[in-house]
Amino acid sequence: MKVNFNLNGRYVSYDITPGEYLADTLRSHSVLSVKKACDEAACGACTVLLDGRPILSCSFLSARVEGRNVTTVEALQDEVDEISDFFADEGADQCGFCNTGLALTILALRKELNNPTDEDIKHFVAGNLCRCSGYQSQFKAIKKYLEAHK
Amino acid sequence: MEANRYLRPATLEEAHQILLQDPKNVLLGGGLWLKKSTSFANALVDLGALGLDTIKDLGDVVEVGAMVSLRDFELSPLLKNIQGGILIEAVSQIMGVAFRNSATIGGSVAGRFPFSDIITPLLALETKLVFYPHKEMTLNDFLSFKGRLSDILTHIVIKKSQGPSFFKKVKTTALDFAVVNVAIANIDGKYRIAIGSRPSVASLASKSMEVVNNAKNLSNELINKAAELASEELLYASTGAASAEYRKALAKAYVKRGLEEVSK
Amino acid sequence: MKTKVVNQKTPSVDGKGIMMGRPAFTDDLAEANSLIVKVLRSPHAFAKIKKIDVSKAKALTGVEVVLTHHDVPRKSFTRAGQGYPEPSPHDKFILDEYVRYVGDEVACVAAINESIADQALKLIEVEYEVLEPVLDYETAYENKNIIHPEDGIHEMFPIGFEPKKNVAAAYDMHVGDVEDALSKCDVVIDETYYTQAQAHAMLEPHTANARLDYHNRLVIYTATQTPYHVRRIISQTLDMPISKIRVIKPRVGGGFGGKQAIHGEFFVSLVTLKTKKPSKMIYSRQEVFESSYTRHPMRIRMRLGAMKDGTLKAIDCYSLSDTGAYGEHALTVFMITGSKVLPLYNKVDAVRFGGRVVYTNHVSAGAYRGYGAIQGNFALESAIDVLAKRLNIDPLELRRKNMMEEGETSPIFAIMGEGTEGTAMDMDTCKLRYCLDRGAELIGWKDKYPFVKVGPNKVRAVGMAIAMQGSGIPYIDMAAATIKLNDDGFYNLTVGATDIGQGSDTVITQIVAEALMTSVDKVIIYSSDTDLTPFDVGAYASSTTYVSGNAALKAALKMKSMLIKEAANYLNSKEEEVVFDGEKFTSKDKVLTLSDLANRLYYNENQHQLTATESYVGHKSPPPFMAGYVEIELDTETGEYDILHYVSVVDCGVTINPMLAKGQVEGGIVQGLGMACFEDVKYSNRGKLNSNSFLYYKIPSMLDVKKLTTEFAESFEESGPYGAKSVGEIGIDTPPAAIANAVANATGVRINKLPVTPEKIFQGLNKGK
Repeated sequence: MKVNFNLNGRYVSYDITPGEYLADTLRSHSVLSVKKACDEAACGACTVLLDGRPILSCSFLSARVEGRNVTTVEALQDEVDEISDFFADEGADQCGFCNTGLALTILALRKELNNPTDEDIKHFVAGNLCRCSGYQSQFKAIKKYLEAHK
Repeated sequence: MEANRYLRPATLEEAHQILLQDPKNVLLGGGLWLKKSTSFANALVDLGALGLDTIKDLGDVVEVGAMVSLRDFELSPLLKNIQGGILIEAVSQIMGVAFRNSATIGGSVAGRFPFSDIITPLLALETKLVFYPHKEMTLNDFLSFKGRLSDILTHIVIKKSQGPSFFKKVKTTALDFAVVNVAIANIDGKYRIAIGSRPSVASLASKSMEVVNNAKNLSNELINKAAELASEELLYASTGAASAEYRKALAKAYVKRGLEEVSK
Repeated sequence: MKTKVVNQKTPSVDGKGIMMGRPAFTDDLAEANSLIVKVLRSPHAFAKIKKIDVSKAKALTGVEVVLTHHDVPRKSFTRAGQGYPEPSPHDKFILDEYVRYVGDEVACVAAINESIADQALKLIEVEYEVLEPVLDYETAYENKNIIHPEDGIHEMFPIGFEPKKNVAAAYDMHVGDVEDALSKCDVVIDETYYTQAQAHAMLEPHTANARLDYHNRLVIYTATQTPYHVRRIISQTLDMPISKIRVIKPRVGGGFGGKQAIHGEFFVSLVTLKTKKPSKMIYSRQEVFESSYTRHPMRIRMRLGAMKDGTLKAIDCYSLSDTGAYGEHALTVFMITGSKVLPLYNKVDAVRFGGRVVYTNHVSAGAYRGYGAIQGNFALESAIDVLAKRLNIDPLELRRKNMMEEGETSPIFAIMGEGTEGTAMDMDTCKLRYCLDRGAELIGWKDKYPFVKVGPNKVRAVGMAIAMQGSGIPYIDMAAATIKLNDDGFYNLTVGATDIGQGSDTVITQIVAEALMTSVDKVIIYSSDTDLTPFDVGAYASSTTYVSGNAALKAALKMKSMLIKEAANYLNSKEEEVVFDGEKFTSKDKVLTLSDLANRLYYNENQHQLTATESYVGHKSPPPFMAGYVEIELDTETGEYDILHYVSVVDCGVTINPMLAKGQVEGGIVQGLGMACFEDVKYSNRGKLNSNSFLYYKIPSMLDVKKLTTEFAESFEESGPYGAKSVGEIGIDTPPAAIANAVANATGVRINKLPVTPEKIFQGLNKGK
């Protein structure tokens, strides 16, 4: 079957199977920023934005993005460039495998939450697991990023 | 996963017919854990075109469509206003935000997941389920309903009750399944106590409720007795996550603390 | 020493590109149209393949290759990525007629897409003779069920390999007479501790892909910590010249030791060699849990003897380690349990360490950050607190009295190496005393020890532990670096050193930039490609800063002297008269920019290419040290507890990159807390790993540790590049003992078996009720 949707600002029409998942569809079309780490909606590495809201692409059927907008970091280069500076400043950049999914979650947080407390921030990004950083450097980076955009 | 067709029926009747045709025609909620339980489906049936994704204020109840995402459920001011926000407190502890953006309330309830964190507080409130075609039942009845339901859950109807509430999810890490969860609601002086993930799905601790609901006021002694009863009247079992004995002890401790809190 | 780049805040050279989504990881670089390789895995913990029929699988359209143990070379090897000859037994065949754990490899298929590969696996018919497995490592020794009965396996040198007794390795050593020393002590404590098979849970699953290039050479891209070892092992096992194989390590999404061993490389190599087509294999998360590696679970008996005044006189440590189905890293992890733990209390009269490593039908255990030190530390640092309580001495005081100090040594260093004899060394840098005191201050020990009541059922308590690790393996680990001068005056730096996310590319670049007095953006690093980069053993044993960094420093200094020589030539001066500031050469009143010099050397006059290659092998392994303190809030009715604050004060020498060093410590602390508190490994009674998913194996999230405070001691290790030691592993060692000690301080309940769960605390609080 075909799925027609807007991917990173361009209208596309891809051949898919009914049981195909979005992460696989995207990666097979060279959207390599999307990472598969657990394939069971448990770690957040595969996060993409669907109509601006974060979803887990490893467990989202590709057929269901029909007519919708899918955004990955490839289409948010300036924004992610800036976030990466805040991460670098806190030494939060290690292996990087969780970073693309996390960057999208941060952008969604910035849009959705108004004046979040520390707990609000942690609660929003908690679904993005990281095994390298111990999280505190990530949290500081996110907080400073949000403060810079008050 | 392997599937032959993806369908997005335009009416509930059409959807219902498709499900009746073949047991391998599968209804999609959020579909997040579909591939864990099913390696092959004939048709994947998406209810997304049926307007079941709204939360409506119907006067003395709130009607929640089955396709409302857990995240939209979490952000609803209408639902936050019910019984001190117990539903929000519970649903916000389910996995992460991205997960809750896809998972649906209908899927979570219809699935009767034993570890469910949302079923327990819904059970402590007055919650009714609406199915297509034309069936309604209380959540409590649905949870003890035996056998396969070929009807489609379309709405969850929650009474707009007020009063103190208590919710506790015992877990290892923040994103874990509940080891045990406890929800208590004080609705106009009547207490409802629901305990879930024991590991079985939530049940009302009716004997415990009887004790506290027949009393004029709750003494410490009475609360202790009710808590003790709650830890004994329901079935608790051992799993990798915890032993039956520990689950009982947790239930007892948190029913006690919950009753103390909601009877203040 | 004031440095301009080293020990200055420096962003990593690769963080931005990765976050912006550039293809960089192994699967991002797989060839399009790669054949998909999948492995059929054993459903039994122990079985013999009586018959295997792959005809239906082969006949499926879209299937290109199916391999069974009949189709692969029969030559044993070790999957462990270690120097040659390896201290791990050669006990693995690519495919064997025995399967030794649930998840072990039975057969391999390659198909044109994933769906067909999955179908093909289902069409393989296997007749197993199910054998009785050994699932309890405490009964493995001399068990009638022998896990490795086959011929053709061997040790590379004596490591105590006795497969007929289910022993992969054994070791013992002693200094002085432990029994005699214990008999003279006022107090002896005798405790036994159990640690679990922690999973690395790195975010990137194991993956490898292979292709034939236009020289018809086998080119393997793999998520590995040891590209050179992979190349050698493949060459030796497939009887292919090493020159025909190229291994490239792209960006790796975490390793922590879990990628310090072969995973899918043989399968993609064989498929590509047979079909001449590119192929790739990606482990599912379930395969990562079930079919890669875990930490070695251990049972450790710790006896400590002391006098009334708190003088520690004797340590006796006996350990049993479970290496699972295969013996990767068996001996070396085991030895580190002693050698990087027991020297912490170096002034005892007698110390003894010994035991064995047994095979079981569990998932194979292998390298994992800490590498035995975390297991040993849990036992020793718990026991020290038990001793302190028995002696009625403050636990900090007991440590101050007995622990390693700067300038001292321990006889253990000379005796115990990593699989071989050790290297004697003095602690030229050891700021343990400072770390201990400063940590106590930061956690508020004085006001909180042992506990403070904060509510009817709530207490807050503190606990702590000290730790040490190492910096590379002396006389064994070799690293090399090459620096090439380019026109316009920038440098290419090639190193074998393996960046797996710990930042070695950045740190090594900083060292070179510092030595060449330039900026990080003028040193372009490329690493871990066996054709293009000089040798390096790989990322393990906390070696990339100390060993690889030293090689890079040497190369940079060599380049600097070559540059000065060339500049002197052009300036018609003597070398001693030339002053170089990183950008220009000055001699009396003449000036020549580096850029000009480079261009002249490329295009105009006396043209030749300047390159400098240097190597380094350590003569010592200077340990980093740390003190870890934790504050918890514990519910005395239910046993649940929250981790409020973890304080780390670390002596790792100079931090080449202060923020990345902090990241190493904090990442290690949270992984250590995972092992201490949350990560529980469960097997079914038929040997299947039940905790084989992130839904059941819980690694910490951002919500699980409230606050981390990390500081570094002022310390300068002469033998290290710009004073550095290492920092990659030390962070993981203290949390298990610190948590167990905090819980004991809070409740009096001593948990000796990890993880420290609320239920265990509850049971301890209610014993006898």
